[in-house]
Amino acid sequence: MLKTVSHFWSDMTLRSTVLPILAIIVLIAYFSMVNPLFFSSANALNIGRQSAVLLMVSLAGTMVILIGSIDLSVGSLVTLTGILVAMTVDSLGVGGAALVGIGAGALVGLINGGLVTMLRVPSFLVTLGMLSILAGITNQISQGRSILFMNETLPTLVNGSFALGIPNVIWFALIATVLLTLVSFRTVLGRYLFALGGGEIAAAHAGIPVNAYKILAFMLAGAICGLAGVLLTGQVGAGTPTAGSALLLNSIAAVVMGGTALSGGVGGPHRTFLGVLVIAILTNGMDVTGVNSFTQDIVKGVVIILAVSLTIDRSKYAFIK
Amino acid sequence: MRPDAGSILIYGERVGFGHPAEAARHGVATVFQEQGLISTIPVYENIFLGRERKFSSAGLLRQKTMIREARDVLEELGIDVDPKTLTGTLPFGTRQLVEIAKAFALSRVYPVEPIILLDEPTSALSDNETAKLFDGMKRWRERASFVLVSHRLSDIFQTCDEVVALKDGQVVDQRPTAATNEEELHELIVGRQRNEEYYRETIQRQAGERVMLSAKDVSRAGELHDISLDLHEGEILGVAGVLGSGKSTLAKIIAGAEAQTSGAILIGKDRLLPGSRRDGIRHGIGYVPAERGIAGVIGSDSIDWNITLPNLSQINVGIPGVISARRGRQMTKTWIDRLRVRAPGPAVLCRTLSGGNQQKIVFAKWLAAKVRILVLDDPGRGLDVGAKEDIYSLIRQLAADGAAILLVSDNLPELIGLSNRIIVLRDGRISAQIDGPRDAKPQEVDVVSAMV
Repeated sequence: MLKTVSHFWSDMTLRSTVLPILAIIVLIAYFSMVNPLFFSSANALNIGRQSAVLLMVSLAGTMVILIGSIDLSVGSLVTLTGILVAMTVDSLGVGGAALVGIGAGALVGLINGGLVTMLRVPSFLVTLGMLSILAGITNQISQGRSILFMNETLPTLVNGSFALGIPNVIWFALIATVLLTLVSFRTVLGRYLFALGGGEIAAAHAGIPVNAYKILAFMLAGAICGLAGVLLTGQVGAGTPTAGSALLLNSIAAVVMGGTALSGGVGGPHRTFLGVLVIAILTNGMDVTGVNSFTQDIVKGVVIILAVSLTIDRSKYAFIK
Repeated sequence: MRPDAGSILIYGERVGFGHPAEAARHGVATVFQEQGLISTIPVYENIFLGRERKFSSAGLLRQKTMIREARDVLEELGIDVDPKTLTGTLPFGTRQLVEIAKAFALSRVYPVEPIILLDEPTSALSDNETAKLFDGMKRWRERASFVLVSHRLSDIFQTCDEVVALKDGQVVDQRPTAATNEEELHELIVGRQRNEEYYRETIQRQAGERVMLSAKDVSRAGELHDISLDLHEGEILGVAGVLGSGKSTLAKIIAGAEAQTSGAILIGKDRLLPGSRRDGIRHGIGYVPAERGIAGVIGSDSIDWNITLPNLSQINVGIPGVISARRGRQMTKTWIDRLRVRAPGPAVLCRTLSGGNQQKIVFAKWLAAKVRILVLDDPGRGLDVGAKEDIYSLIRQLAADGAAILLVSDNLPELIGLSNRIIVLRDGRISAQIDGPRDAKPQEVDVVSAMV
């Protein structure tokens, strides 16, 4: 028994998959005890609705963190593309507006990736700058106000349900998770992203065009953020200039808790799904059990530090900075 | 680093260092080959780095005293540097002098005479800087002891009273420099009888006529000058040279991992794109780099993912960019069996494997890509005897099958044992070309004398 435990403890892959699942079970059990209403299908759908956009953003972040970079502009990009969608949906229709949102996202990703690879500025700084730039643009074009629109197809498409009574926004996020997991493990693109994060020099020696794939990772993340912007605007029924502000920190926490290493090369979208579930259940559970929002922030912070200290693989770091 | 056994005595006192600060207290200071100064702070702060306690009162540093003392130290040693200069702005050679000053400064903090360890101090210095350093050492030895580690025998004869020769981690001899000469030292360093069986010399084949790859006047500023060579079918072409001779750079350029400043690598009529591994692979060049852990394998990836990385097009399922995990595993299993990699299965992470098995993964990656040319940079580095033997017979077998192999190595017996022909590099130029046919292998001394 002791041997199995110590084996479990030393196998990082196993540990970082099992711990989030364990956390999810413990959280569900606890909140259900405190408030029986927590454990209901209605509340399950609530959790899904509340976290679908977070899941999309976390997936976007995962693709960049996999290559060992980071994208801090994801949250503000969702806000901006959401505003763009709200502004264009009446004239271009849902399809046109979605293209605008996703296209703008991919373009920002292209710029992020281009700056990281061409100017060789660390992604942390490039995307920190981009965060500020995008927030500024958002406020400028929206004048700091919500953008309303007349189109009814978009809200119906996002909030309606095409199957099993599950809102489409949840379907979108789930399908994105499955697709990106397939991309990560069953395509050349996915393999290359893992290789870049695991060992950039070895990857370059294997003939991988390193810079091109780095840029692709950022573009993919940007496009996913654009889609998240479409969903968010549909869900809210308006483009709001503050909508994405909480997304960044929650998404990084979710990615890392899921077991995708910030150093790159380890993890994947399926892991991030678990990380998002932990955060979503924790947030919803505290809401349902009447924990006030200030206490919620403290608890969440403690859980994040605790979770990451248990799941990160220290053998990959020479120094902890 | 701590020794596993044995002890170190200073003035008859037994000391056990586990930390540079302990060594410093006894006056022992090391001047590393990779420099040990922080380039973003002024010279005087570097000189007293880690010894600030002496200059602190009530938690504050007496900066003026530090600067004054640093200036004293530098002046006493005749080193013309302003202690307030930012360290990073000084030329390389001068920084090395500052490191020596730092060692002497120990005697200001602790009641000791410094013992200064110099690790290959001249490898990155110009002739002028070297002369300055040696000149200084002559004056400073009144007040300090020096240990000089160098592969340049001329350094040793110019500066040292006594010389210790090491071979394979053992002291071969210690004698006064006045009682020996360079040739004698060569033999001491080299000495050993070669073991033919170890390098499978009996199955060494003759190189073919066909030129598989050639280098024409390849140069890289400051590292390589006008290197030309032909690599033939079935040939193992050895490249010898000391650290800094440019041999690793040559390997990188031929493989496409680094770009040359001028000259060309040719395969048939094709000129390879400089610095493009991608083009190199397209022309059938595999590359086994010296830094296995960071450039050879990806430790956080499985054996499967490592071997298939440059071979994803072979496991395509028909839709562009989509790969078959099953066929990847099959490919991996084939190579695990063929190269006798000792691992539980294809999903095992590479970083859990031994060095020898990791090296086999690197080879497998290129063999699966069906390369006809292999560039090997020190393929036996850090491997145990058994793993080396496996790698050597693999190299021999590949050559026998007609692959052209460029073998760069620090290990002379390996180089001589395996190569059909050896090119020796010295300071970025070819200094000798030595044939190594099966039954008339050159002596190590012949190679060494062209290296140094």
